[in-house]
Amino acid sequence: MRFWAQAIEIARVDLRVEHRLGDTLRVVLPFAVVSLLVFPLALGIRLSVISEAGLAVFWTLAILFGMQVALRQSAADTQERRDLHALLGVDPAARFAGRTLSGGVLMLAFLLVLYLAMVLLYGPSLPSGSWAITLVSSLLLAVGLTELGTLAGEVTAGLRNRTALASLIIAPLALPLVIGASQSLEALSRGTSILPWILLLTATDLALAVAGVGLARPVEEATR
Amino acid sequence: MTRVQALLSVAAIAMGVGLWFALTAPPDALQGQFSRIINVHVPSLWLGFLAFGVTAFGSVMWLIKKRPRWDRLAASSVEIGVLFTAIGLSTGMLWGHAVWGTAWDWGDPRLASTAVMFFVYLGYLALRASVDDPVARARRSAILGTIAVIQVPLVYFSVNLFRTLHPTQSIRPDGATMPSEILVAMLVNVAAFTILYVALMVARMDLAVAEEKASSKETLAGDAVKPPRLSDVKDV
Repeated sequence: MRFWAQAIEIARVDLRVEHRLGDTLRVVLPFAVVSLLVFPLALGIRLSVISEAGLAVFWTLAILFGMQVALRQSAADTQERRDLHALLGVDPAARFAGRTLSGGVLMLAFLLVLYLAMVLLYGPSLPSGSWAITLVSSLLLAVGLTELGTLAGEVTAGLRNRTALASLIIAPLALPLVIGASQSLEALSRGTSILPWILLLTATDLALAVAGVGLARPVEEATR
Repeated sequence: MTRVQALLSVAAIAMGVGLWFALTAPPDALQGQFSRIINVHVPSLWLGFLAFGVTAFGSVMWLIKKRPRWDRLAASSVEIGVLFTAIGLSTGMLWGHAVWGTAWDWGDPRLASTAVMFFVYLGYLALRASVDDPVARARRSAILGTIAVIQVPLVYFSVNLFRTLHPTQSIRPDGATMPSEILVAMLVNVAAFTILYVALMVARMDLAVAEEKASSKETLAGDAVKPPRLSDVKDV
């Protein structure tokens, strides 16, 4: 099977496992929306403050819960599944690409639902065209965060403190993604160019993709 | 005198020379004596960038060659890099408190991004501490060490990307932005700190070799079973 055929097959299987387990849509997403409800209570229910804080809360929750999506159970391979992939001759780089594809789809859906909930609950004043920018920056954020999550999940696979350690690795490394995504909307509000921030997101995604594909074989060996 | 003692002696002399330059350079007209912090702040953060760059190099080399010395190089460099980044952050906060009136300014992306970089490498050290098997530890650390360097350019160029209180690079293609006496003192200290880094690296790598030798003598389940050693790995 060719590279992309393998990647698409892995993504299809991942999404089917996720459909059955429901980690993202039935657990992480409701938890994130509940967190959206908690913030205004902590802020003191002042409408102007809540409206202003809306986007900041969205990006914070996007990273925190995005890590949960990236490290979801359906993306964690058992040793048997790894051995099966190895015996079938699945290219480790295709496995990385497939996992990024499935994670990216889930992450994008998660981010868009969370954004919609934030707009409904917080009523932030958004400039015209913000939907398109949110869609583009969320897509790039989803890809980057999934790539990071896949790499961190593999590096920490099988360790006793996997969840905490992977989060410690992902959160600071996601800095360029958070800055790029949040500043693109800020730039739109200020009327300045959004191009540098979209380029920052794209460059980070590409760097992580190169790292993920280039390191796929050592990552495969690390988890055996 | 051993190699490490000789190197540490040279580093001590270089640091002494750096201190003399730092104390004899004229103070900044606006910041007064506080401007002398530059002689510790800039060299410390330079060492942080250098150390994390060396870690990335060592990590890539381990992935290619699978030789234990590359893992030792990467791990030793992170430890020293984290120490000097912490010193750079602390001195930056002291300087900010004295000059801007606040130790932590959210309008300074260099400060925030450097703190984040510091945590990335704390994560690297936490990962190493979590893996018992030395070969698995070296492999997983090498992967993270290669990825982690991605954000170092963002930290360095953050002062150019954002509007900030933090000054931009002092040395540019069109010339320096500070008086020559202050610049010379800072560069002497950068050189002195770099020598100190080399000395500490050699000492830490020697210690790592001693640790490996000591751990290879430990028996886990009688003499028949021994813990794996990095030096046993030829090509995996």
